[in-house]
Amino acid sequence: MSGIAVFLCRCFGEVNRVIDLDSLQKKAERNNDVVSSAVCESLCLADDIEKTASRIRESGAEKVVIGGCSHLARGGAVVDALVERGIKRSAIGLVDLREACAWIHKDHPEGATEKAWDLISMEIAGLHHRRASDDVTVSVCPEAMIVGAGPAGLSAARTLAQMGFKVHLVERGSNPGGMLNLISHVYPSDEKASEKIKTFVDEVDKNSLINFYPKAKINSITGFAGNFNVQVSSSAGEQRLRVGAVILASGARVWLPHGLYRYGKLKNVITQMELERQFIKGPREVKAAVFIQCVGARNHERPYCATMCCPSSLKNAVRIKEENPDARVFILHRDIMTPGSVLEAYYRNALAKGVQFIRFEETNPPEMLGNERVEGVEVIDSVSGMKRKLECDLVVLSTPLIPNDDNVKLAHMLGLQVDRYGFFSEIYPLHPLETRMDGVFICGSARWPVSSDNAMVQGEGAAAKAAALLGSKAVSALSLSRVPGEKFGHAAVNAEKCTGCGNCVAVCPFAACRLQKMGRKSISRINKLRCKACGNCVSVCPNGTVQLPEQDYRAVAAMIKQAFGEESAL
Amino acid sequence: MKILIFACKWCGLIGADGAGKKRIQLPPEFRVIAVECAALVEPDAVIRAFASGMTGVAVLGCHLGGCRFNDANHAAIKRLELLKTLLDATGIGGKRLLISFGTAHEGYQYAEVVKTFFEELKTMPSTVAWTASL
Ligand SMILES: Cc1cc2nc3c(=O)[nH]c(=O)nc-3n(C[C@H](O)[C@H](O)[C@H](O)COP(=O)(O)OP(=O)(O)OC[C@H]3O[C@@H](n4cnc5c(N)ncnc54)[C@H](O)[C@@H]3O)c2cc1C
Ligand code: SF4
Repeated sequence: MSGIAVFLCRCFGEVNRVIDLDSLQKKAERNNDVVSSAVCESLCLADDIEKTASRIRESGAEKVVIGGCSHLARGGAVVDALVERGIKRSAIGLVDLREACAWIHKDHPEGATEKAWDLISMEIAGLHHRRASDDVTVSVCPEAMIVGAGPAGLSAARTLAQMGFKVHLVERGSNPGGMLNLISHVYPSDEKASEKIKTFVDEVDKNSLINFYPKAKINSITGFAGNFNVQVSSSAGEQRLRVGAVILASGARVWLPHGLYRYGKLKNVITQMELERQFIKGPREVKAAVFIQCVGARNHERPYCATMCCPSSLKNAVRIKEENPDARVFILHRDIMTPGSVLEAYYRNALAKGVQFIRFEETNPPEMLGNERVEGVEVIDSVSGMKRKLECDLVVLSTPLIPNDDNVKLAHMLGLQVDRYGFFSEIYPLHPLETRMDGVFICGSARWPVSSDNAMVQGEGAAAKAAALLGSKAVSALSLSRVPGEKFGHAAVNAEKCTGCGNCVAVCPFAACRLQKMGRKSISRINKLRCKACGNCVSVCPNGTVQLPEQDYRAVAAMIKQAFGEESAL
Repeated sequence: MKILIFACKWCGLIGADGAGKKRIQLPPEFRVIAVECAALVEPDAVIRAFASGMTGVAVLGCHLGGCRFNDANHAAIKRLELLKTLLDATGIGGKRLLISFGTAHEGYQYAEVVKTFFEELKTMPSTVAWTASL
């Protein structure tokens, strides 16, 4: 074992007011591994960092233990500064003597000094076994796969193609357009949905950089940021794609209100989506219509607001009014959600056009009247407390968007997470279009129900994020960190010891482990670029085959041994 | 009293830092090992800690759904809860293993968790006998 240098920081008295640093230094000097030790006034000052770095070099020490403040205070910055001056990160151990000792044990100077020494010797013992994960660098394939050709996927494809990247646009249906193919006109511009999406769809036809795969099914995705391997079957047959980035724009689906408001039993009780379909066919003669909001949304099971159903009802209510100014149109709601200046104006326009709004309580939902056809709706107006009977020949139920069924399967293949409802999880709150797997981005309703405008904006954003990766020539495993700061390392397998039990494959949250045939046995292979160093595999490995070099079992064992002085050791 | 705390860098360790910044006073008889994620805390390491004479071991991780590593802490909780039943069976006592996820992120929470654990351990039988026989 090569020598260790120990530097203790007084922090202008903050530490040594409680902890007897000089006695610690004497103890350090007596330690066989320690070749140099010093007590400094303030390690984080540039002056002292310079001095410390040159002292480490002169002492010939290969590793260094810093006793000062916490990583989050200035300790992390001290480590970074030493790394900048050529000392390996894995050779630096940081002991928090200020926040985790001096400041919380003011009344116990002796206990604090004893603890400080234990913490230092734990770090010395741990450093013995700490190694650095070896890095790998892999070139980036400058092509992207986009899953789903709705507004989000189409705008992402267009943005990437405009930047010169080749795009594979994989769509489950036959045509690009997504949900806009199913609706008549779009709020807030009231243009035809097919018009709105036309430039984007045309781009798919015209731009040679966009390859469109209709009727596609993704069979498998393996690989990592910069190099994903995808197997797709589409109307063009089975294909293998190699792409650098994956953008998930697979949208969502409409929840069907079976069992509510006698939907399916009464004629003319339809969903908003069914009304859209009827409008696509042409104008619809309505004398009196009642829209009911939040059907299956903002309740116990689905507490979220789907955001697109209130504006959709406003859109279609006004349309009925415009087609027949004598028609009576009611919107029964719990709250009208129209955030932003444009949608608020949209709401005011509906008011001005004579659409009537009645608020009801979740606990007191409206009731349907009629036997075969709906003849009216009874509702208790929560503002006046009065029961109102509304005659009508059409009831439209606004139901929310819910996640696609195959989200979970896609998430599993990619090592992603879905939220409690099944939408793809973003890195909350700082990276809204990124996921915990490098190189995989999300946008549109696949991530959370949105309007088509927002889906397009998010598509552009996801494309920009993907472009940053696709534009880089290469990625290295240690540069891929999904958490702030440096990546800790990645797990490594000892191929000789591995028995191929597969425990690690089962628990890896990033699908980074897999079994590979090696002669007669199988062994675990860990993808360094997918691994994020959580250590889950390490914990379930029956014979210590998988280890994180930065903190392996020997390091932890050695630290435990030193935790309360040598005497506590076995 | 000898307590060993495994603190995840993204929750427990932030709490430890916060407790320090707030100068919350705690008894000194505990040591902290920082880990990248609570999932790295091997059951073997916990057992080793008890075998080395710890009175109690605590594992502090992020709340469920808040793990930086997808659902790694979920798996960790399950493993450690299972270990608790084994500790009960061996006579060490499952209560000597404190599993706390998402409850020690703020300084005052961390301090409370540590203090309560000290109090809890004080009410339990002494471990001197079995550590002496080791
Ligand atoms: C009744 C109703 C009315 C609406 N009215 C309006 C409106 O007026 N104005 C407005 O702005 N918004 C409106 N919206 C919302 C709008 O439809 C959505 O916000 C928008 O379509 C979301 O776009 P997207 O690209 O995220 O998803 P989608 O449009 O849902 O597109 C997703 C695409 O991905 C495909 N896909 C799914 N899974 C896979 C898979 N595994 N592999 C390959 N492909 C897959 C789907 O086939 C689909 O083509 C309305 C929604 C509803 C339900
Ligand atoms: S947009 Fe309106 S109808 Fe849809 S969930 Fe939100 S509040 Fe309910």
